[in-house]
Amino acid sequence: MQFELNDEQSALRDSLARLLADRYGFERRRALAISPEGHCPQTWAQLAELGLMGLPVAEADGGFGARAEDLLPVMQELGAALSLEPYLPLVLGATAVRLAGSEAQRAECLPAVAEGACRLAWAHDEVAGRHAPWWVQATARREGDAWVLSGAKSLVLGAPLADRFVVSARLSGEPAQREGCALFLVDAKAPGVQVRAYPLVDDSMAGELVLTGARAQALGDAADSARALAAIDGTLAMGVAAICADMTGAMRAAYRLAVDYLNTRQQFGRLIGQNQALRHRAAEMLVSLELAKSMAITAAVAVDDPGSEGAHLDLHRAKVSVARHARQLAQHAIQLHGGIGMTEEYAVGHYLRRIHVLDQLLGDGDAHAARLAALLTQGPAA
Amino acid sequence: MDLQLTAEQQAFRAEVRAFIQERLPQDIRDRLRAGHPPRKEDTVRWQRILNERGWAALHWPRRFGGAELGQAERLILMDELYRAPAPLPQVFNITMLGPVLMKFGTPQQCEHFLPKLASLDLWFCQGFSEPGSGSDLASLRTAARREGDHYIVTGQKIWTTTAHWADWTFALVRTDPEARKQEGISFLLIDLKSPGITIRPITSIDGEHHLNEVFFDEVRVPVANLVGQENKGWDCAKFLLGNERTGIANVGLCRERLDHARTVAERTPQGAGRLIDDPKLQAELATLDAEIRALEVTNWRFLLTPSAQQELPAFASVLKLKGVELQQDVNALLARIAGPSGLERRGSDDTAHGPLTPRYFYSRAASIYGGTSEVQKDILSKFILG
Repeated sequence: MQFELNDEQSALRDSLARLLADRYGFERRRALAISPEGHCPQTWAQLAELGLMGLPVAEADGGFGARAEDLLPVMQELGAALSLEPYLPLVLGATAVRLAGSEAQRAECLPAVAEGACRLAWAHDEVAGRHAPWWVQATARREGDAWVLSGAKSLVLGAPLADRFVVSARLSGEPAQREGCALFLVDAKAPGVQVRAYPLVDDSMAGELVLTGARAQALGDAADSARALAAIDGTLAMGVAAICADMTGAMRAAYRLAVDYLNTRQQFGRLIGQNQALRHRAAEMLVSLELAKSMAITAAVAVDDPGSEGAHLDLHRAKVSVARHARQLAQHAIQLHGGIGMTEEYAVGHYLRRIHVLDQLLGDGDAHAARLAALLTQGPAA
Repeated sequence: MDLQLTAEQQAFRAEVRAFIQERLPQDIRDRLRAGHPPRKEDTVRWQRILNERGWAALHWPRRFGGAELGQAERLILMDELYRAPAPLPQVFNITMLGPVLMKFGTPQQCEHFLPKLASLDLWFCQGFSEPGSGSDLASLRTAARREGDHYIVTGQKIWTTTAHWADWTFALVRTDPEARKQEGISFLLIDLKSPGITIRPITSIDGEHHLNEVFFDEVRVPVANLVGQENKGWDCAKFLLGNERTGIANVGLCRERLDHARTVAERTPQGAGRLIDDPKLQAELATLDAEIRALEVTNWRFLLTPSAQQELPAFASVLKLKGVELQQDVNALLARIAGPSGLERRGSDDTAHGPLTPRYFYSRAASIYGGTSEVQKDILSKFILG
C-alpha cells in the first residue's frame, strides 16, 4: 500500500497551487464569475502551459497519459481555489475520445486538446435520466456517409466554452438500455447545434445542448456498442474520481477558513475558538476531511487499478462517503462563521455551493448508495 | 498510490486465514458469530493455539514469544481474526502490559511475566479508572505507601473489565500525595489473590457481568512489582495508551458485524418476503459499507504512512472517534434488524439468534472507555486550534 504523491505529482501540485494563489484569489474569482467569459482565459492558457490539458491525453497523442492518481492533486487544488475553468469537462471529453475513438480520430482530435487549442465537453446526461448513469434518448441516424444526431443533453459542463462535444446517442433500443448506443464527436459550430448557456448555482458555466439533425462523426465503430459502453463507463468512472478529488480540495479550503475564523473572531471577550461546542465541531470536520481524503485516493486507485480487490465497489463507496462528509463539513464551516458565512461576498458559502453541484453530478450520493446496495445484495462479482 | 497488499503480505494473509480455518474451534466461531463476547475459556483456548504459532504477540520480539512482525502484519492478523470471527489476543496482556514491561520493566520482570502474558498462564486486567477519576485519570487517589520492601495499597478501582477472571492487575497508584497530579503516580503489578482485595461485580445494561469494582484494603505489594521508577508511572500510562492505536479503529469488527447484519436480514422474514429486500435497509447497509471502507483506508493510510502521522500526530483520535461511531451504528442496526424477535431475553448459549439487542446496549460503552469521544475531540481540537 502506498498513499503518498510521487515527486512529479507533488511538483505539479505545488506549481498549480502557486499559480492559483497568484491568479485566483477569491476577489478575482468573484469578478470572473460575473464577467462575460465566465472564467479566466489567461489562467486557462497558463494551465495549458503547466500541462494540465495534456494529462488526460495519451502520450502517443501528445499528452502525458496521466492516471486518475495524477489528476487527484490537480483536482484538489482546483476545488480549493473554487476554479471556474472548464477543466472537468475537458477531462471527461478527452477520456471518452481516448476510450472510444479510433487511432486516426485520437490523432486528429487529442493533440489540439493537449495543447489547449481545443476545448472538449461531455454531453451525456439527459433531464429524464436524473441520476441514472444510462439514459440516452438522443438518436443517431445514418445519412449517406455521415451521422446525424437529434435530441437534448442537459447539464453539459463548460458548454458555452466548448469547441467540440462528445455526445452519446442511440442507434436503437429504449432509453435505459445499455446496448444500442454510440459516442459521437460534434463540432460546436456545426449546423443544427444549439447551446442554451446558463451558469450553475456555483457560478460555473454549463448549458443545454440541443441537437436538431446535427452532423457528427461516430467515435470508433458505431455498431460496436460494447466498446461505446465501456467508453462511457470508463469516462464516468474517471469523472467520479475527479469529482471526489475536487470535493476534498474544497473541503480542505472550507476547513481552513473555519479554523482561521475560530482563531480570529472574538465574542463575549474571548476567541470563539475557546468554546468547546465549536472546538468539537472543528474536530468533527477534521475527521470528515481525513476520511474523504482517503476515499478520494480509493476512487483514483479504483479507476487506475480496476482489477484490485473491491475496486468495482470503491467508486460508489467513494461518492457516497465523500459527498456525505463534504456536505457536512461545508455546513459546519458556514455555521462556525455565523452571519458572514451566509454572504456571497465571503468564500466559505461558495464551498457548499460547489460541493452541492459536484454531489449532484454523475449520480448523487443516494444514487451511488443504491447502486452499491444492488452490487452488495447480488454478492461479489465473479 | 496503491491499496494492494504486497505479495509477502498477501501470502501472510493466506497463511493466517488457512491457520484460522484449520485450528479455530467451531463452537467459539459460532458463539462469536452470533454476537456473544468470548468467554474466558474461549480466549484462553484460542490464544494458546495462536501462541504455538508465535502469533499471540505478533509484534513482540522473538525471545519473548513474539514474531517480530510489523504494523501491516498486525493489521492483517486482526482483520482475519475478526473476519473468522475468533477472539483477539487478550488486550491487557498483549497490547497494553507487554510493551510497557519491555520498555520500562526490569529484565527479571520481562523474563518472568512476558511468556506468561503470551500463553495466558496469567490473565491481567487494567486498574486505571476510579470512582472519582474517569476521563480525568490523573486525579486518581488509590494510595500506595512504602513500608520496607512493600507498598501498602488502599483505595478503589472501578469499571475493571474482566477483573473477575483475572489473576493480576496492573494499576496506577498514588505514591506521592504531595506531588502535582501526574507526578506522584506509580505503575504497580498486583496479584489479585493478595489479602485485602475484594472484587465486586457490576452488571451492565446488556444484563451481563463484564465490569467490576476492585477494592484494596492495606494490600501488601512487593516493591519488585513496581514497573519503571517510583512516581514515574504516568510515563508508563501514556506509553500504554499510545500503543493502543493499531487496534483502535476496530475496522475488522465493524466489517464482520456488517456482514452479519446482511446475513441476518437475509434470513429474516418481512411479510411474504425477506427483510433484505427492503430498499431502505439496503441503502443503510450500503452507506455503512462505504463508511467502513473509508475508515479502513484511513486506518491503513495513517498506520503505514509516517508522513501522514507527522502531519496529524493526533490521528489515533480520528480513528477512535470514527471507529466507535461505526461500531455503534452497526450494532444499533443489528438490533433493529433483530427487531421484535430480538426482544426476548435469551441465554448466553443461544447461537440461533444471538444477543443482538443486548450487544447494541453494550456498544454504547465504546464511546466512553479508552478516552470518551469528547476527550478525543478535545485532543483533536487542541491540535487544530491550540
